[in-house]
Amino acid sequence: MADLLSVGVNLEAFAQAISAIQALRSSVSRVFDCLKDGMRNKETLEGREKAFIAHFQDNLHSVNRDLNELERLSNLVGKPSENHPLHNSGLLSLDPVQDKTPLYSQLLQAYKWSNKLQYHAGLASGLLNQQSLKRSANQMGVSAKRRPKAQPTTLVLPPQYVDDVISRIDRMFPEMSIHLSRPNGTSAMLLVTLGKVLKVIVVMRSLFIDRTIVRGYSENVYTEDGKLDIWSKSNYQVFQKVTDHATTALLHYQLPQMPDVVVRSFMTWLRSYIKLFQAPCQRCGKFLQDGLPPTWRDFRTLEAFHDTCRQ
Amino acid sequence: MGVTCVSQMPVAEGKSVQQTVELLTRKLEMLGAEKQGTFCVDCETYHTAASTLGSQGQAGKLMYVMHNSEYPLSCFALFENGPWLIADTNFDVLMVKLKGFFQSAKASKIETRGTRYQYCDFLVKVGTVTMGPSARGISVEVEYGPCVVASDCWSLLLEFLQSFLGSHTPGAPAVFGNRHDAVYGPADTMIQYMELFNKIRKQQQVPVAGIR
Repeated sequence: MADLLSVGVNLEAFAQAISAIQALRSSVSRVFDCLKDGMRNKETLEGREKAFIAHFQDNLHSVNRDLNELERLSNLVGKPSENHPLHNSGLLSLDPVQDKTPLYSQLLQAYKWSNKLQYHAGLASGLLNQQSLKRSANQMGVSAKRRPKAQPTTLVLPPQYVDDVISRIDRMFPEMSIHLSRPNGTSAMLLVTLGKVLKVIVVMRSLFIDRTIVRGYSENVYTEDGKLDIWSKSNYQVFQKVTDHATTALLHYQLPQMPDVVVRSFMTWLRSYIKLFQAPCQRCGKFLQDGLPPTWRDFRTLEAFHDTCRQ
Repeated sequence: MGVTCVSQMPVAEGKSVQQTVELLTRKLEMLGAEKQGTFCVDCETYHTAASTLGSQGQAGKLMYVMHNSEYPLSCFALFENGPWLIADTNFDVLMVKLKGFFQSAKASKIETRGTRYQYCDFLVKVGTVTMGPSARGISVEVEYGPCVVASDCWSLLLEFLQSFLGSHTPGAPAVFGNRHDAVYGPADTMIQYMELFNKIRKQQQVPVAGIR
């Protein structure tokens, strides 16, 4: 909001101008109503005419007043600046074919919706944290009367912080190595190598995990020009399955207030795949089911199950 | 290159080599495997020439030069228990030039030819081993692509082998024991083939009965 003010649009004057327009509209419609109603019933003709003229004049005066007010306010409103503070998305708004490709309006709606969603989710989580379901003796220390304060947004974190968290997790497990790079802007891309079993590419958005793709140890993770290949699937069905499970895991481990805990739990879950080819399924006891080893790892116990055997 | 196990399938009682191969392929197709073309692995033997042997009369070493259709641009050269080499196909021409040092034992060219099947991530090759005009046995090769460390997936491979070989499932190949955590390579597969061919060479010829 502050950005728009600096651009030259006075928002208060804008709001007042809009209400002035409404006042003007109503006074104009009063004029026409008065004309439509005609003269009121009074004793003498003169009395009627006088009353009518007086009423008509009052209405015209109010129209005049409202018009002047509107003109005054419109001078205060000012012009928005010519340059685009919206950058690329603002260029979308210049599309003339609005019926067939209403991209810009949909984009704005989606953006507003996601902002509102985040705001509501923050409020909800604050309230829910107050109503703790634990029976432990020590309370959180937040009294019910105190309002939950607005949580700081974790979507905008300094890259240095993200680097620190990742390097700490890298040192946690000896058989797992994490390499961080930022080839496309500020979102980090991790290349996790787990023993000699598999390689995982994790695309992040500040400290939230956005996408993962799992490939075999012997498969190539770089494209021809040396960049990380984040799109092509693995050649082996087992790793395609593990990619699906990893996507399920990143949707499962969610904690908006503490994203570094989320990344840590995800990595712990991923590390259980070091025994992908050695562990039999805990339910049926066999190694192979339809040619696939147990690819599912339970989120709490990290036990191995076949995809078809999991509860 | 995934972990590979090469083994020999004994010929069924009262059946010829051809019929046993057909039995195996039918079992594989029932399992759900898809045919994916053919393969060929061949092997030629060379002795170290007598002129290079020392005055003490040490025994000549045998060298095997092998080709695998899975790696069409490569040529493998192995000593029995010694070093191995992966070269490109010009190596065959080189061997002709090295006639003074290595003499080929012409009668001992042995090869296996057959079909390739793909089942999920497994690649199965069933081939007939022939020496000259006669069929000597059946080779079965199973490769599990995703895994590159031999010690990790032996149990998995064993379970798969049992599902279609039944009681003829082999034990763990010797190469698995040697290299614990090292990445498996194509040379290990060729060593297994070399051992298989040597075994078949020593075996008696398969009796040609039952073609009446």
